Amino acid sequence: MFAEALFFGFAVLSVLGAIGLVLFRHPMNGAMSLVVTMISLAGLYALLSAKLIFALQLIVYAGAIMSLVLFIIMFLNIQDSDLPTEKGRWLYQLGGIIVILPIASFLIKIVKSIPGSEATIVGSGFGGVKEVGLVLFQDWLLPFEIVSILLLVALVGAVVLAGKRRMGK
Amino acid sequence: MIQDYLILSIILFCLGILGVITRRNVFSVFMSIELMLNAANLAFIAFSRLHESMDGHVLAMMVMAVAAAEAALALAVVILLHKHKSKLDTNIFSLLKG
Repeated sequence: MFAEALFFGFAVLSVLGAIGLVLFRHPMNGAMSLVVTMISLAGLYALLSAKLIFALQLIVYAGAIMSLVLFIIMFLNIQDSDLPTEKGRWLYQLGGIIVILPIASFLIKIVKSIPGSEATIVGSGFGGVKEVGLVLFQDWLLPFEIVSILLLVALVGAVVLAGKRRMGK
Repeated sequence: MIQDYLILSIILFCLGILGVITRRNVFSVFMSIELMLNAANLAFIAFSRLHESMDGHVLAMMVMAVAAAEAALALAVVILLHKHKSKLDTNIFSLLKG
């Protein structure tokens, strides 16, 4: 009963944050509502007994990535006059809803046909660091290495993009 | 129930698509993409709980790594474009149209 009330609260908070991200005009307000969404998603991961992912969501997503985005938004010092005017935004959003709604209802119908189980909280032996680490370093070793190469490429790319240009000029 | 989590993930993903196709602010589009990645993560974790296996958690960690790399590169590109054009409109950034 308590877990269901928690799920309802977190679900409503995350959907409200996502709606705020789509509707707010200034990116700073959108970033703050996205932080609300990410923190409530971390609560949902805890309800699904994914302890490691819960901590990683708080540290990496709500902590590192969102503070990087907020830093860049503040760094560029965006005024209201810098923002695109977005004329006819409501019309576009209405059209988008009309396009997306059939797809969403179709997907929800598919999901409802899955034989479900109760999402009770599992105690030890599920979702901790040990279990995830065992699977990660046994079955998923090659994808793990590929992800490390991807991070290296992103590092080099960021240095190249942000570095000084000295090409002939 | 697991289905509730999956339905929530579908709703969040559709809101992310709505943000990408209707907003013209670069930051809003970028954060909508992050929202879609988060919705996919929620679906991974929910299916992992349904089957009581750990593979979904590993995939969610990889999605987080890809999102971090994407954030670093995309924000560097946004800073460069803002330096050249001093605008944040995605319609201005059509340099590769030929």
